Amino acid sequence: MSSRLKKKLGNLGVDPSSARANESFCLIGTPLPPLEKSKDTGEFVPLWKQDVRDEKGRRRLHGAFTGGFSAGYFNTVGSKEGWTPSTFVSSRSDRAQKKALRPEDFMDEEDLQELKDSRNVVDTTDEMDLAREAAMGHGDDEEQDSVARALEASMLPAAKDSAGARILKKMGWRIGQGIGPRVTLRQRKLQDLQASGRRVTEADIIIPDDEEATKHTYAPRDTPILVVDRKDNSHGLGYRPGMGLNESVGSSRSAAASGPKLSAGFGLGALNDADEDDLDVYDGGVTQNRNRTAYDIIDREEDDKISIGGKARSRTQSNIVSTSTQIFHDGKPVLAGFVLSDKPVAEDRWFPLADIPKGWSPDPKRVWGKENSQQPETQPPPPKSEKWSRTGISADERGSLLGETPLPHAPRSVFDYMSHKDRERLQNIAARGPEDATASTSRSPAAISTPRTEPHIALAALRGGFVPFATNPEKQARYTAYLESQAGSDSPPPPPKPLPGQNIDEYNKELEDYAKAALIFKPLSGAMAGRFTSASIVEHGPQLNEGLYTPTAEDIAKKEAELQKAEEEKVTPKVHAARMGMYGPMTRETQPWQPARLLCKRFKVKDPNPPAEMPADGPSQAAAFEPASATTGSNWEQFTAPSSSGDGLGASTTGSGGPRDLANIGLGEDEAQGRDTLTYQRPAMNVFKAIFASDDEDSEDEGKADGDDDKDNDVEPPPPPSLSVVPSASTTLAPSDPSTAPEVAMPDAAVVDVGTFKPTFIPREGKAKKDSDRAKEKKEKKKKEKALVSFQEGEEDGALQISVKDRPKKKRRKEKKEKEVVDDEESMWVEKPPPEVVKHLAISDVTDLPQGEAQGVKGRKRAIDFM
Amino acid sequence: MTQPARGPEPLPRHLHTTLAAHKGPVNVARYAKGAAKYILTGGQDRTVKLWNANLGTQVKTFAAHGYEVLSISVSHDNAQFASSGGDRSVFVWDVATAVTTRRLAGHLGKIHVVEFNDDASVLASGSFDSSVRLWDLRAQNRQAIQVLEEARDAVQTLHVGSTYITTGSLDGHVRTYDLRKGELRADYMGYPVTAVVPTQDSQTLLVTTLDSHIRLMDMANGKLLNDFAGHTNAEYRCRACFGHGEASVVCGDEKGTVWAWDLLDAKALQPNPPPQVHNKVITWTEHHPTEKGEMFTASADGTVKVWRQAEVP
Repeated sequence: MSSRLKKKLGNLGVDPSSARANESFCLIGTPLPPLEKSKDTGEFVPLWKQDVRDEKGRRRLHGAFTGGFSAGYFNTVGSKEGWTPSTFVSSRSDRAQKKALRPEDFMDEEDLQELKDSRNVVDTTDEMDLAREAAMGHGDDEEQDSVARALEASMLPAAKDSAGARILKKMGWRIGQGIGPRVTLRQRKLQDLQASGRRVTEADIIIPDDEEATKHTYAPRDTPILVVDRKDNSHGLGYRPGMGLNESVGSSRSAAASGPKLSAGFGLGALNDADEDDLDVYDGGVTQNRNRTAYDIIDREEDDKISIGGKARSRTQSNIVSTSTQIFHDGKPVLAGFVLSDKPVAEDRWFPLADIPKGWSPDPKRVWGKENSQQPETQPPPPKSEKWSRTGISADERGSLLGETPLPHAPRSVFDYMSHKDRERLQNIAARGPEDATASTSRSPAAISTPRTEPHIALAALRGGFVPFATNPEKQARYTAYLESQAGSDSPPPPPKPLPGQNIDEYNKELEDYAKAALIFKPLSGAMAGRFTSASIVEHGPQLNEGLYTPTAEDIAKKEAELQKAEEEKVTPKVHAARMGMYGPMTRETQPWQPARLLCKRFKVKDPNPPAEMPADGPSQAAAFEPASATTGSNWEQFTAPSSSGDGLGASTTGSGGPRDLANIGLGEDEAQGRDTLTYQRPAMNVFKAIFASDDEDSEDEGKADGDDDKDNDVEPPPPPSLSVVPSASTTLAPSDPSTAPEVAMPDAAVVDVGTFKPTFIPREGKAKKDSDRAKEKKEKKKKEKALVSFQEGEEDGALQISVKDRPKKKRRKEKKEKEVVDDEESMWVEKPPPEVVKHLAISDVTDLPQGEAQGVKGRKRAIDFM
Repeated sequence: MTQPARGPEPLPRHLHTTLAAHKGPVNVARYAKGAAKYILTGGQDRTVKLWNANLGTQVKTFAAHGYEVLSISVSHDNAQFASSGGDRSVFVWDVATAVTTRRLAGHLGKIHVVEFNDDASVLASGSFDSSVRLWDLRAQNRQAIQVLEEARDAVQTLHVGSTYITTGSLDGHVRTYDLRKGELRADYMGYPVTAVVPTQDSQTLLVTTLDSHIRLMDMANGKLLNDFAGHTNAEYRCRACFGHGEASVVCGDEKGTVWAWDLLDAKALQPNPPPQVHNKVITWTEHHPTEKGEMFTASADGTVKVWRQAEVP
């Protein structure tokens, strides 16, 4: 702890040296395992140590989901008995059946699984690799013979075609062919020539006059794929690896080409003149690309490149060389690979703004209006075939329109297989249908045309009572009028006139809508229709206001009033009462509530709804409900009878005999049952005597304990059986049961009104009291003699009173008395003891006697006084 | 409540001392128990301060809260006190060492009120989460003994009596949980309840609501005994209390004035209207539990003022 922190804590009033302040809660690292290996199987093992392995070192216990400890016959080799050696069987007789053993025969499940996993080599998601196949087909001929290729093809898994390739293949395309309709020989030649990049002349396209050749069509040549080389070197633009010094300047090419070809080799310097000897005899003019270079050409990777249009590439190379002689205006040579443009760079053309006449203001409506009015005349809609508009165009039709030759694998129509006559007949039939339709629909768009509805449909729609335009009554009326016009009576009423301001097109469309509606909402046919009735009330939908809705002040006021009203209705009587200030039963709600038991305990309150308990649980609690005990005396007296747990219960059961109360439930029919148990804690008298008795006391005890049993018994509970240290207060008050506490605390002579109090006496009582008085006198005397230490100042409750020497004596005395009580319980315990107060009254007489003991006079009586 | 015929004692209006060390509003201030020579104040500045009311000096600062302090309760023996506030746990402090002995977490919102029972064995806390939790301070268990979840809105105030617990909630109800009867009595006040103060005999209850009224309710049957009005209290928790001998009702209002009413006839005592003594809303008013002429007011202006009777020279 730093000194600063110490000082700060000291300021706060915390002792910095206290254990609490120094307590550390930091735990750094993982605690080491104990040095000695303990036998504790339940000891903590860190997670990384928890591992189960078998004797071979393989991991076992694969987790709960794969078998746990008992997986696989408890880690045996697959059978309950474990591995069993098989008996020898001669294979001599059936050698043929003996199969060669494979490695798999010696593998167990794990190994097999491993093997199976490792076999998954080929990625199943492979797509078709066209380029590789092409390369395989063309390039490898030399290295691999046909057999090897076939083998390879069979061993390698078939590449999966992409969807496009599959479709193409279905249409007849093969790898290596171009895509498109088949071409004639001439066209194909033309293509070849174009691909080669030469200028096409008539002479080139000479078709050999071969009949067979002209008979067939050919697949088009494959389109060369433009392969753009990736620039992955760091050469400058236009630099070609292997280019000589002169070449790179751009001027030496022609010279080198014109000069004699020298033989490549050693011994010829750059400045040496070429002799005739040096001429390369074997140079056949094929070394176009060959250069003498000072270093190895590493970067040239011509062979690796896959190029179908290789010829075109070589042509551009030659171009580069030829154009590198061009020179800019300022005299600089043009970089190799670039061409000077003969056209200047096109500039953006700017048009001056047109002059706007003064006073002109934009009026788009005028333009639109003009367009609208002109449109019907100037731009008639493109003539649409009825068939097209209905069905759309099939791919074949579109192809034929565009002039394509039909695909070879185009699906055949049924018509293709029909005879010519049948086809004609069908066409006739087909032509007649559309004619009718076109008669009504093909019209000048501006003209009013009334779509026809079949009379019976119109009638049914009318009668059916279906209301398609329920939200718009006006429209519904027009719809009805239209239906009536189409109903087909002799003199049909005219269809509804176009609305004022309604365009003719719109009007036509509206009528068409009606016709459609009548068709769509075809009423049910007769039999079915009888089962339904239409609603007699036409529901009008909510009134919709067009445009932005702006509520008026009235609307708002109305809505607010409604809200207020609704709120008022919602107000419960409780709220209403509270508003009115009528607090009381109206605003009060009472409901049962169960406080937690612990809460009751903490608040020192009895549980309001105690849980159902066995009544035999605690004798004092059970006795509290005993009705018999409540007959006489005040409240606290109820607790007196059962206060002594043992004999109180025993006495009540034996004394009352017949009546069953809570106290003797569970004791059965036998009254004596359980008495042993209940009276068990009382040891024999001579035991105490043997331990505690001194000679002079014995006689006194005997003499004293003759008749005052019941009274004393009520006041004092039985002593604890063992001689534990009893606080002096308890010897005085002796509340072993808390319920007796109030009883003892009560005797304050001033409180009890002697005049009104009615003691209940039994005849024996008087004698007993006399006895007790006598005994008391004796005892007082004795105490005077014997007490060595005594703080008997206390009239206050529970005052300190230590009379060390007396204690065992008293105990003994009590024991004895209680024993006697048990003995003659039957006779003594017939009635309730007299109330406590009586005794006080009686005793006050005694203590008032001039005995010279000041402490007894004014104070509360102690139990010891009553003996 | 045996009062002389001349009526209640006049309110102590002579400023004795001002306790000003809080930064920001003072939310709560409580007298210590017993002779009540000390005052504990809790403020928006996240501290609880202990003052000597007589000398006006600050004795100690208790700083552990991470949020504002909203409530303080002192135990019967003055050895510990509990405070609560924005940080959703109740702190139980040891007064001498100024350290927290317990931090009771469990509420889901800021805790508006915390209260000990008579022997500081149970602690009750009412929270914004509309629940009241009863904590056991005897056991080591940090779980609540019981949670009272009847309130429908934040619990603003509560009082723990000897055998009952009374809570006041913003839902306008005063709920009395009677432990002996095992009964819950909910009295609807109609307005958010911000303070409940019972009389010594636990027969009547002083209920402060946010409609600028203070009502004296009969706890037995929930009837209205008296209604004290005139002050302004519509937004803040302004705790009203009884004057000396429970003969008057005292309340500081949102305008910074301290009102007093006769308990019996509910008439405002002179001066009416009272002068403004604080610049901002008075959040807490408490009369000395035993002393005749002493009370204090805590205000949102950051000061606590101790008032005494003007000494007669």
